[in-house]
Amino acid sequence: MRAEHYQDILERKPKNVDWFEILSENYMIDGGKPLYFLDAIRQDYPMVMHGVSMSLGSTDELDFEYLKQLKALIERVEPQWFSDHLCWTGVDHINLHDLLPLPYTEEAVRHVAERISRVQDYIGRQMLIENLSSYITYCDDAMSEWEFLSAIADRADCYLLLDVNNIYVSSYNHHYDPIDYLEGVPAARVWQHHLAGHTNDGNLIIDTHEQDIIDPVWALYEETAKRFGPVSTMIERDGNIPALDQVLAELDQARAVAAPYYQSRS
Amino acid sequence: MTRLHDLQLRFLDYLVGGSEDIESDIIGTDNALAEHRLGTYYNAYRIRLIDCLAVDYSALEKYLGRESFENLALDYLQHYPSRHPSVRWFGQHLPEYLRTFYRGDDREFLQELASYEWAQTMVFDAANSDSLFQLEDMAQVPPEAWPELTLQFKPAMLWLDLYWNVPVIEHAIDSVVEMPEKQRADHPQRWLMWRRDMKTCWRSLEVHEAWAIEQAASGVTFGEICEGLLEWIDAEQVALVAAGFLKQWIGDQMIIRVVNN
Repeated sequence: MRAEHYQDILERKPKNVDWFEILSENYMIDGGKPLYFLDAIRQDYPMVMHGVSMSLGSTDELDFEYLKQLKALIERVEPQWFSDHLCWTGVDHINLHDLLPLPYTEEAVRHVAERISRVQDYIGRQMLIENLSSYITYCDDAMSEWEFLSAIADRADCYLLLDVNNIYVSSYNHHYDPIDYLEGVPAARVWQHHLAGHTNDGNLIIDTHEQDIIDPVWALYEETAKRFGPVSTMIERDGNIPALDQVLAELDQARAVAAPYYQSRS
Repeated sequence: MTRLHDLQLRFLDYLVGGSEDIESDIIGTDNALAEHRLGTYYNAYRIRLIDCLAVDYSALEKYLGRESFENLALDYLQHYPSRHPSVRWFGQHLPEYLRTFYRGDDREFLQELASYEWAQTMVFDAANSDSLFQLEDMAQVPPEAWPELTLQFKPAMLWLDLYWNVPVIEHAIDSVVEMPEKQRADHPQRWLMWRRDMKTCWRSLEVHEAWAIEQAASGVTFGEICEGLLEWIDAEQVALVAAGFLKQWIGDQMIIRVVNN
């Protein structure tokens, strides 16, 4: 849900949207227009909450002031679920406002799983963690990204927000087969998908969320539908935001891509 | 210190200070060396925060031009790296940075322009007020009660004292009206800013209204405010002038309630 679409959503109440995802931090404020539109649109649609600042992988202490605000927003919005990223966003009390990858090590699995468990205990419900787009591989890596993600999800008993574009981006940047990724994650924990566009700089693909979804990502989404069946899917757009109808057209395309596999499983 | 913590500190030193120690932790490939891969994060960190600052300080960016604004933003980032989980607060220290560290031309003007733009951000998402004191509510207050009444203002209201005519400059930068000449007054002018029906409003205050609203917001009674206004207003006019202020503040949806002491 983007501010550029607030008025359009309220006036038209589009029927081909089942729910909206909000960026939690945009509404962790005291009042004003964002909260006005949040409350108004929430009356018409279910919502899920997606955060970027929990910094689950940081070696700083968990920020309970942040979690307190998040919990208050959860009580206000009553979302179907809430999520954040499998990453760290800062250390030494400096926030870098980027989704930074972790080394795929047993130490990091233990560290992150323990922190997710503490968050879930504090909030009082299970959460989803999302896989990143990444541009680096650490020398310390001792397992694949999907083994890392799966180990944490199993140990913390949380769910997965599987970003199909991020799998595509990282598989391109790190030269692996994205199908291996899909086959390596526990299907029962896959609770939501993200789809988005990206930018290719010639050597690396950068996850910009500023472009339309490209055909290879649609093809990979079809593979996810084959494996995981009906999973809630959301189109992400952070920049170069088009008219609401264009985003809704991509949402309809996602429905069309996944529909044959949903029917065959039901 | 854990291995993970040490790694994160090396990454931090790279992103914030450019230290290359982290490169030995990263595997490069033929098509993208470690330096290039890391550079994606180095650049993204800066671009993201410069862009964030440009949203909060759009008039300052337009006034300076993109290149000068980027240089200013990068220097600000060095002095004030973000310490808040929400990027919404990253720019909060820019007026202070301009006052303390900026060595370019127009320092005082730029600092006042930045203060004015940050004030807009604060008013934009300040707490809502569930109910407002309305003009018709005034009829419920017996005349003899007024001298002892105090006023409670909404959170989405503040004022700034500015030497420069930054509100009209900012308005001109942000719209198609002709840019007025930059002017500095001998004494600071008080500007009131508040949110009304989700819109941010602003206006300048005469010195006696500036004094009155500051007193009212600090809990001084209406009667005491009337007495104080005698410094500027004749005795026979003072009640009328004070009532006029009150009526305007209520009409502008700035008052939550009047409190009978």
